[in-house]
Amino acid sequence: MGRIALNKVKKVFGDVEVIPPLDLTIDDGEFVVFVGPSGCGKSTLLRMIAGLEDLTAGAIEIDDEDVTEVPPSKRGLAMVFQSYALYPHMTVRKNIAFPMRMAGIDEATQNAKIDAAAKSLNLTDYLDRKPGQLSGGQRQRVAIGRAIVREPAAFLFDEPLSNLDAALRVGMRLEIMELHKKLETTMIYVTHDQVEAMTMADKIVVLQAGVIEQVGSPLELYHTPRNKFVAGFIGSPKMNLIEGAEAEKHGAASIGIRPEHLTVSKSEGTWKGRVGVAEHLGSDTFIHVHDTGLMDMMTVRINGDIDARHGDTIYLSPQVDQIHRFDAQDLRIA
Amino acid sequence: MANRTIPRLLQTPAVLLLLVWMLVPLGMTLFFSFIRYVLNNLRRPEWTSPSIENWRGFGNYKFVWNQDGFWLAIQNSLLIVCSILFLTVILGVLIAVLVNRSFPGRGIVRVLLISPFFVMPAVNAVLWINMILDPVLGLQGIAVGGINEVIAGLRNAPLIGGFFSLWPELNPISFRATQTSAYAVIMMVTWQWTPFAVLIFMTSLQSEDQQQKEAAILDGAGRWSQFRFLTLPHLGRPIAIVVMIQAIFHLSLYAEIEIVSRGNGNKNLPYFIGELANNNIGAASATGIFAVILANIVAIFLLRMVGKTLME
Repeated sequence: MGRIALNKVKKVFGDVEVIPPLDLTIDDGEFVVFVGPSGCGKSTLLRMIAGLEDLTAGAIEIDDEDVTEVPPSKRGLAMVFQSYALYPHMTVRKNIAFPMRMAGIDEATQNAKIDAAAKSLNLTDYLDRKPGQLSGGQRQRVAIGRAIVREPAAFLFDEPLSNLDAALRVGMRLEIMELHKKLETTMIYVTHDQVEAMTMADKIVVLQAGVIEQVGSPLELYHTPRNKFVAGFIGSPKMNLIEGAEAEKHGAASIGIRPEHLTVSKSEGTWKGRVGVAEHLGSDTFIHVHDTGLMDMMTVRINGDIDARHGDTIYLSPQVDQIHRFDAQDLRIA
Repeated sequence: MANRTIPRLLQTPAVLLLLVWMLVPLGMTLFFSFIRYVLNNLRRPEWTSPSIENWRGFGNYKFVWNQDGFWLAIQNSLLIVCSILFLTVILGVLIAVLVNRSFPGRGIVRVLLISPFFVMPAVNAVLWINMILDPVLGLQGIAVGGINEVIAGLRNAPLIGGFFSLWPELNPISFRATQTSAYAVIMMVTWQWTPFAVLIFMTSLQSEDQQQKEAAILDGAGRWSQFRFLTLPHLGRPIAIVVMIQAIFHLSLYAEIEIVSRGNGNKNLPYFIGELANNNIGAASATGIFAVILANIVAIFLLRMVGKTLME
């Protein structure tokens, strides 16, 4: 079981209110991602759940039990750190065994669990090495192994993939998702990378300055962002946000249109602009369009390729049913 | 090849200087250790100048080897060095861990902690033996006298008086005595060198990874387990360095021994050599060679130890 509830949780560092009172419920077995720009309080929130950070006010419940005053080790949570936080002078085996050793579990059980974890994480050949002799991805797997053997009520991941290179990150992302499917344990995952959030989460929590902007499934956030911040943060490339006269035509203070919901033409369309840089990804092309008179630079995503050179004139037409409208308070107009 | 010759040529003066610096004294010591050479001998005036004519072979070595003083000096050297190492490392780790936490006035405490290291060895010895350890005038004498007075007072008290009347009167310890003077040296040098260990351990503690500690907290490790499984292994390398540097320094202790008891009961190898060198330079040189051998044996062990921790 791993149902976690935050009630009016608040954190103040000195005079700065990092997290204003906040409510959130995480259901058993859910994969929840906290996402937001750096400094938004997502790591602090995770550390508060883990017990590494005290609450200024409010309460945390795990499985309907108030754990606000319970020490970290007694909360039944396991955490994977960004720096892996492996014990450098211990072998992989001892690293994984450490939490069990602290819990006083007998050696036979320890070894059985270590072997099972090592097998599922492809670490069997590395059990007698020290962390210094492992690659980044292997270290990450050891850190996960150390978490698994505790059989926690929930896993907490604090930006676990930020120290890996891009290719490895995609691989580890899949491994963590596989792990979640296999264990069906609650996982809370903190990242600033919205791609990770979108691909991994059952539920995304978008945070800004300690405030939850929106909670929902990846596609909910994509299709119906509650406000302009979520609209701009979720989705890659970013949504084009247009203010002023063009927005008023649609009866809104500002409108947003995602790059993939723009149609491109070389001869006619709603908006006219000049082609800037084009990023060719093979399957898609991102074109940066300047001088539209609507915003600084508009991004368009098209399938395949288009014969447009730097400086060419280009016409863009939004798919009208895909326009997001926001009022003066930046909230979505349904 | 030419691009190697020039650097070597340029290095030559420095290398030569170092070689001369080391080899000449060593060579002279070796030479003196194989001849009869005394500073003052009325019956055999020819021994008073170093000359190959006075060749004695291994005679000086045999003479030293068969002296009880020599073996006592080696024992004492090892006792003093090992005790100081043991105490400074333990005290150093404890104090460093304590001072590493944040508390008001930490800056001042740290400066005060380092200050014993700036006291001259001879001054250190004079302060300790006269002001602290002296059985009459030192702190020790005053403290023991005070305790005795308190106990004497309690003897007449009702109820508990009977219990205290069984207590013997405490006697202050004379640290200039044969049996205790080595401990006085160990105490004062430990006092002086603990700051050095604290300093080194403190810098090392500040580089300790905080996320590892947090991971350990989540893994259920208490304060002691964190210290035992994270901090102590982290300190392995600085401990090895402290042990090595201190071993080198303390094998050649002299001032403290001279001041505490003029070598009474706590002669170490340098002091023994010093005494021989008052007259018998040949025997002193032979002992010096023994000291070099001893230092090398210690150095090999230490280098192995340090090398092992550095390899990890």
